[in-house]
Amino acid sequence: MGLLDKLSVWLGRGKAEVTVLVLGLDNSGKSTLLNALRAPEQRVAHTTPTVAQQQEHFQSGGVSFSAWDVSGAPRHRALWERHYRRAHAVIFVVDSADHLRLVVAREEMELLLAHPDMFGRRVPLLIFANKSDAAHALAPMQVAAALCLERITDKPWHICASCALSGAGIADGVTWLARQLRDGLVPTQHT
Amino acid sequence: MTRWLDVEVGTDDIDLITLPSNLALVDLQNDNEFKLVVGDLGRGEEGPKLKVFKGAMQISDTILPDLPLGVVGFSINESMPRSVPLIAVAYSSCVYMYRNLKIFYKYYLPSSELNMCEIEVWKQLTNPSYHNIESLQSLTDSLGAIPHKLLSPQSQNLLDLTPDQQLEYLENITDVPSKKNAEIVCITTLKLHSIEREKSVCILKRDWPEGRILFNTDEHIIAVEVVTADNSVMVICADNTLACYSKKGKKQWCLTLEHRPVAMTLVPVLHLGVTLTAVALATGHVHLYDGKARRDTIFVRDLVSVMKFGQLGQEEHVLIIVTGGGNLMLKILKRTADFSAHAAGVQLSPHAAGGQRPWLIPKKSKLFLEQSVRERENAVSMHQTFQHELNRLRLLAAKTLLEAHVKSDNSIGIGPMDSLRLTAEVEGLGPVFRVTLIIENTSKEKAVIGLAILFHVHTINYKVSNPYIKVPLLSPGGKLKFPTKIEEVFDDQINPDVLFRPVTGQGGERSLVKVLLVKEGKTTPILAATVQMPPTDPMMLPFDKMQAAAGLESNEDSNWFTKT
Repeated sequence: MGLLDKLSVWLGRGKAEVTVLVLGLDNSGKSTLLNALRAPEQRVAHTTPTVAQQQEHFQSGGVSFSAWDVSGAPRHRALWERHYRRAHAVIFVVDSADHLRLVVAREEMELLLAHPDMFGRRVPLLIFANKSDAAHALAPMQVAAALCLERITDKPWHICASCALSGAGIADGVTWLARQLRDGLVPTQHT
Repeated sequence: MTRWLDVEVGTDDIDLITLPSNLALVDLQNDNEFKLVVGDLGRGEEGPKLKVFKGAMQISDTILPDLPLGVVGFSINESMPRSVPLIAVAYSSCVYMYRNLKIFYKYYLPSSELNMCEIEVWKQLTNPSYHNIESLQSLTDSLGAIPHKLLSPQSQNLLDLTPDQQLEYLENITDVPSKKNAEIVCITTLKLHSIEREKSVCILKRDWPEGRILFNTDEHIIAVEVVTADNSVMVICADNTLACYSKKGKKQWCLTLEHRPVAMTLVPVLHLGVTLTAVALATGHVHLYDGKARRDTIFVRDLVSVMKFGQLGQEEHVLIIVTGGGNLMLKILKRTADFSAHAAGVQLSPHAAGGQRPWLIPKKSKLFLEQSVRERENAVSMHQTFQHELNRLRLLAAKTLLEAHVKSDNSIGIGPMDSLRLTAEVEGLGPVFRVTLIIENTSKEKAVIGLAILFHVHTINYKVSNPYIKVPLLSPGGKLKFPTKIEEVFDDQINPDVLFRPVTGQGGERSLVKVLLVKEGKTTPILAATVQMPPTDPMMLPFDKMQAAAGLESNEDSNWFTKT
């Protein structure tokens, strides 16, 4: 990690944090996923539905993340767009066992991608097909097809199966995100 | 743009034949994940079943003993944490309760005793000696004499048969009808805490004597829905109409549909504050109406058999459609959907107002009637009073205008000098006051030069230490303060009214000081402000003049006395 740290210091953002927006429908597992990224002694046993938003900090691949966990309740989804401007990356969490609401997730993602603050920006998009351990859970490729991810052209995206309760699969996704942010352009600073 | 998201449902093994009352949305496992419970009537040799869907996926299948007529989910009590809800399935004369999809309670409706004549007739009918055409004829005639609705279903069946069939039926019969079972027509839940509303929408049939007939329709009714918000009743009829009746049975409006309606459901969208009425037509379209106005149209490509709207899974706004082919369709309302008239872009259809009450004119209230009577009786005096008040208003306006003209007061400049502001502060008890004038340049670009302040006072009343102040250059956004001393002058004959000014609060014309802001080369002042000077405190009045005034006063008094 030492070399990467030096590299990121050399890139001029050793101390700077990258802002990541964690989005997804209610009960898709956003807060649980962030909980799994914490140090084991800081984890909470039970997560309650998030109201408004909460902030988390974690590090991966030499990049220090500041993650905004935004409420996914239908009435709060309109507030997502307030965070778009400052986001350097987006983590979109999908409940892969909730077949019914995959269309809702797709609709919300289309709204996200079409928003003026997001459209055309090269913001890495990481999709977690969460709850992969649940019965009837769809495979990540099926989720990707249901979300029409192949249509996304202006952003690098990656989907991976995860289980936020056990933490499986999360590290892979976050590593991809860190690599994207490191290799990609220096995040444009929006004031 | 569509307002609905389509959920893909595997169509292969879902084959539903059901009634509108056989659909229920129940939070079966108490996990805030609503399941769709369907009482399926069955097809062919497959018997009726109770099917449970989680989202679009069937998760359970229970065989039912009879054709279900209604399925309702309810919880026993409102205590928290909630107990697992029960499902009640109504059959022709009994209700079965299911808990965790297992039979938990059976309830048979109380039966009523048969008519005595009917029992007598049946005693004879079961006797083999009467089993010939002639005696049967007289017996069925006596059965027919009993009002049809009082007969048991068995008697009713018998009367429908031909004499030969009747004989055959009686040969094989073993049990005599002794009781009449009440038939369930519909089932619903009554919440214990809710205020019970009179849901007497008893339009069961036109010749039904029980229940209160709320209203009659010209044609057969296809579906009825009660709007909970205002208790109005929506009805679709076989003559292609959608009609709205008030809770008192008064027809409020009626509109003609393009095609035959087949199903109807209410679509309450709480966050938008509207309750839409979804009407499915035989053409495969579903129209959504807000009152009379059509707000949206969905094309479902198939004949709709049953529709229901409510929470399914964790999604609050799901429209569930069971098609005539037995398919299940799920449509989720988009979060961004808007059903306002503007968004829908749909005008009232031309037939909407056809013949019905087009205007809602409120009744003439008592207040209105009284007022109109008064107006007729006192027309002249009312007119005069009005004219009088109008003239007073005009006079007041003219006075105010004159006052403004006389004072020529404008503390904010106009035209090219509109960025200047002049304010004044007065400090002190008197007779010497400190008046601070503040000149502010609110412009962001322009500086002002060549300004001067001129005090305009009556020299009898006030003495200004320097009545003409030259103002230096005022930078953009700058502010300058000019303190000046103004002394109130009292002549030798002090007016005693001066002593009472703090009490009466009136300085009159005397206490006005005019401040003018002038600019070089301009004939009119840029700004003018009038400062109302506070009255001098009586304790601060010059003592000698006070005495002089007092002496004068006494002299005057004595003079007056001497005169009289």
